[in-house]
Amino acid sequence: MDLENTKAQMRKGILEYCILSVLSRNSCYASDIIKELKEARVIVVEGTLYPLLTRQKNAGLLSYRWEESQQGPPRKYYELTPEGKEYLADLDKSWDELVESVNLIRTGKKSKTS
Amino acid sequence: MKITVSINIGGYSFNIDEDAYTELKRYLKNLELHFAEEESSSEILSDIESRMAELFRGKLTAYKQVITIDDVNKVISVLGTPEDISDNEKRSAGEKFSSPGYNRMYRDPDRRIIGGVCSGMGAYWNTEPWIVRVIFLVLAMMGGLGILIYLILYIVLPEAKTTAQKIEMKGDPVNIHNIRESVKKEFDTVTKKMKL
Repeated sequence: MDLENTKAQMRKGILEYCILSVLSRNSCYASDIIKELKEARVIVVEGTLYPLLTRQKNAGLLSYRWEESQQGPPRKYYELTPEGKEYLADLDKSWDELVESVNLIRTGKKSKTS
Repeated sequence: MKITVSINIGGYSFNIDEDAYTELKRYLKNLELHFAEEESSSEILSDIESRMAELFRGKLTAYKQVITIDDVNKVISVLGTPEDISDNEKRSAGEKFSSPGYNRMYRDPDRRIIGGVCSGMGAYWNTEPWIVRVIFLVLAMMGGLGILIYLILYIVLPEAKTTAQKIEMKGDPVNIHNIRESVKKEFDTVTKKMKL
């Protein structure tokens, strides 16, 4: 077991979820997403983001459009597809459940219902 | 004084020092290998290039108009080497791309004297090619049997042309890491030759 590996595994699991969450607020281009993910410290190297974005796009969760930019070449703006929104709602739910479960275990309290 | 190269990254044109250019080229080649198994690898790469252009532009001012090796190293550390990126993905190294670590017999074009048969056999048995060559020579002098065997093997054995085949010939498992090492080695020899 090594700590860095475990941390990386944890981060990997939530990274996809975080990308979708960022995009649920408004459509962004990749550098905006990077900025948010970096501020929240869920991403270490930027290169990790791009394969994930492309995979999510290929899976139909995201779509993108090209938008002109005043500072240079057109930029790729990503947004959630209806399918992506559904997917995210599902993840939201399972995230809440997960947090609850982990908290239960960490505090050692038994669930009230059972 | 330094020579600069003019390059196009993500639609922007940059002037870049020659050493920085070499490093950048190597980095992009490594990324390309890393994402080779990905479905839309060219799209990922062009996205990364666009981001790279943005980062480079941030490093230029009215008084600094050339990308240096320092800039390249900084940008690489921001974007991450293939190792850093796969570290986050934790697909255990070389899992997908590899065939098991057995070796196959090829003709070795890099160390050949005639057709690369002996050097290829040497690589296969992990012995020095000259030992194989001596055996062939002795067989050849005893009635020419060695020449016949050599000819047959020359026809039968394929030449190790691709990087993957060269690695297979040496018995290392074929995975991204090994391919990258070999490509790097080749790249270094070529650069050295060009400088001479």
